[in-house]
Amino acid sequence: MRGVASALLGVENEVNLLDMEASIEHLARGTPGGVDCMLVVVEPYYRAMETAGRIVPLAKELGIKRILGIANKVRDGEDARAIRDYCRSKGLELAVEIPFDDAVRAADRRGHALIDDAPDSATARAVGDLARQLS
Amino acid sequence: MRIAVAGKGGAGKTTISATLARTLARSGKQVLAIDGDPNPNLGMALGVDPELLRDPPRVPRNAADEVSDDDGRKQRVLKPEFKDFREQWTVQAPDGVMLVHMTRVDHAGTG
Repeated sequence: MRGVASALLGVENEVNLLDMEASIEHLARGTPGGVDCMLVVVEPYYRAMETAGRIVPLAKELGIKRILGIANKVRDGEDARAIRDYCRSKGLELAVEIPFDDAVRAADRRGHALIDDAPDSATARAVGDLARQLS
Repeated sequence: MRIAVAGKGGAGKTTISATLARTLARSGKQVLAIDGDPNPNLGMALGVDPELLRDPPRVPRNAADEVSDDDGRKQRVLKPEFKDFREQWTVQAPDGVMLVHMTRVDHAGTG
C-alpha cells in the first residue's frame, strides 16, 4: 500500500498531493521521500506542535528540501505566538496562519467541500495564498 | 509538483489538502489527490458525489514495482501507464481533481 502511494507521487502529472495518515511511522519508511514540498499542519496545542517537531527532522532526513508549516485553528495572538515560537525553535518556516474557522465545521457537518460551501472563508483564502506560494 | 501534507490527526490536514487540491485544479493544473489515511475522508472534503464514494475502486497492491536507481536507491514506480491507472482506479472529484484511496489497496493481492 505504501509502495503504491510512493509510486503515485512519482507519476508524471502537474500536481500529486498526498494527504498522509496521522502516524509518522511511514515517514520513517520513506513513503514521501521524493516530494518537492512537505506541508506540516500545526495546531496551537502542545501535542500537535510536538508531532510537528518530530516530523521536521524525519522529513529533512528524507532529503525533502522544502518543508513548510501551516498554522491552523489559531484563535488569538497567544496561539499565533505559541506556534511561531515553536516553529522557530524547530527551524520550520511558517507559510500561512489560518484562524479558527467555523466555516470548516459547518462544511463538514453538511458533508460539503469547504471551497464550495464557503469559498470566501478565512481558511479557503489562506489556502489560496498557500497555493500561490507553491506555484 | 509533489506535495505531502502531514501533521497530527485532527489538525486539519484533510481540509487543507482538499482545499489546496481544488484551488490548484482551478488554476488550471491537473491534480491527483492521494488519500493516505486509513479512515478515508478526503473524498468528502473534496466534494465528491457520495455515490462514488460508497464503493471506490480497489487498487491492487501489485500496481507498484520496486526498482533500484543508478545509486542503488530503491524507488517505487507504477506498473501500469498512469492513464490506464487513472481510468481504472481514480474517482472523479470536482474541478477535474482525480482521487485515489490508499486504504482501498487490495491487501489480499493477486501476485
